[in-house]
Amino acid sequence: MDADKKSRIRRLKGKQVKLYKQISIEVEGKIQIYPNYADLHNQFGLLSMVEGDPEGAKSHFLEALSLNPKYREATLNLGFLYIEMKRWKEAEDIFLSEARKHPKDGFLHHTLGVLYFQTGRQKEALVHIRKAIQCHPYYRDYYKKKGVWHRGKVLLDQKRERAFKKIHLNYHYAQFHNFIGLYLARKGKSTQAVRELKKAAKLTPDDFLFHANLGNVYYYQGAYRKAIQEYKKALEIDPLYGMGYANLSYTYGLMDRTREALRYMERAVRLSPRYADLHYNLALLYSDRKRYEKAISELKKALRINSDYLFARINLGVLYEEQKKWNEARREYRKVLQITPDNEDVRRRLERIS
Amino acid sequence: MLRDDFVIQTNVRRILIRSHIDYSEIDFGTVRGVVYIQGVFKVGTSKDTEDIIGKTLRSLEMKIRSIPGVVDVKFQLLNWKKEKGQWMPTKKVE
Repeated sequence: MDADKKSRIRRLKGKQVKLYKQISIEVEGKIQIYPNYADLHNQFGLLSMVEGDPEGAKSHFLEALSLNPKYREATLNLGFLYIEMKRWKEAEDIFLSEARKHPKDGFLHHTLGVLYFQTGRQKEALVHIRKAIQCHPYYRDYYKKKGVWHRGKVLLDQKRERAFKKIHLNYHYAQFHNFIGLYLARKGKSTQAVRELKKAAKLTPDDFLFHANLGNVYYYQGAYRKAIQEYKKALEIDPLYGMGYANLSYTYGLMDRTREALRYMERAVRLSPRYADLHYNLALLYSDRKRYEKAISELKKALRINSDYLFARINLGVLYEEQKKWNEARREYRKVLQITPDNEDVRRRLERIS
Repeated sequence: MLRDDFVIQTNVRRILIRSHIDYSEIDFGTVRGVVYIQGVFKVGTSKDTEDIIGKTLRSLEMKIRSIPGVVDVKFQLLNWKKEKGQWMPTKKVE
């Protein structure tokens, strides 16, 4: 490697450290204002861990869990921290309990496999590695790539074993880069945010969330094709992620590709039928395609979920009016005026058909 | 120019996401090219003065009006109203 490249890498690392420190100070300041926000403690725990302060990290993860005992991310972070601190029993308790709750989560079995290898419990390790492979094909490929898995057998020489034992750190760093990426995205620094989120996705490629977040940042940037790619990757990993389909639909909407937008919004509604907003958007898509009966049906569903959904009611009134269903249109406009009596636009519409 | 309400709606959504507006208490809808914005209008930080919020509202209105196919923008905000072309606060929102 030439000297220039070396110095560029050194500079980049220096910049990153500076950035992480700055974020750390900001999060610490927020904790002083909002000491009861579990999220902030979890974030600070991650930052402390990366900064090499495991005791500090532990106390913040524990604080996050005392504020919200069901906080899964903080639980897993604490578990990985215990592995890093070689507090095997505490780590094992956490991951066994999580694996009982989520028996099809390959990542938990993978972690238990790593943990048992670390503690010399080869038999138990193998059981969990096999379970991880059964849960997701990603793990078979991953172990193969690392040279750990060959023809149905686990192979660990000294070198491979060392690498294998460090695998659990991927989770922590992925969470960390994800958090930093989202933080930067909120500050409008989307190029840096993409860089961090890509690191997260590279470390744990089977986590749909990092791809979904990358998709959101690309959407924000206006890079719609890349956003679509990432949303689709997220949906390949988790095909039941309803909001992923909604995001795809919104992105296609921005590209004026309403046929695809409709297809994905229909799926989003099927998977997340309790979101009034999704029904409303689907109604707009149907209405734009003059499929009025379907549009009316979706608007009614939106209103059943949220009877104060003003725009759904206005849209419904307009659709009834266009179909010359005067009584129904009047009824909807009157309801709108009960909620917003100074809505002149709707008042005029009502007067026109009264 | 006639344009799909859904396309307008997705454009409004993106404008709100990209702005510094706190849109957690804002609802929006599109009816035949007319965009409705309703709720409590707040910007990112509580330190912003009324002058800045007024400017943000003007800019938001302009951006939405510039979306192709938008016929009109109707604001029904609980804490701000437009009078004689000027945005004025109606009451303090805690």
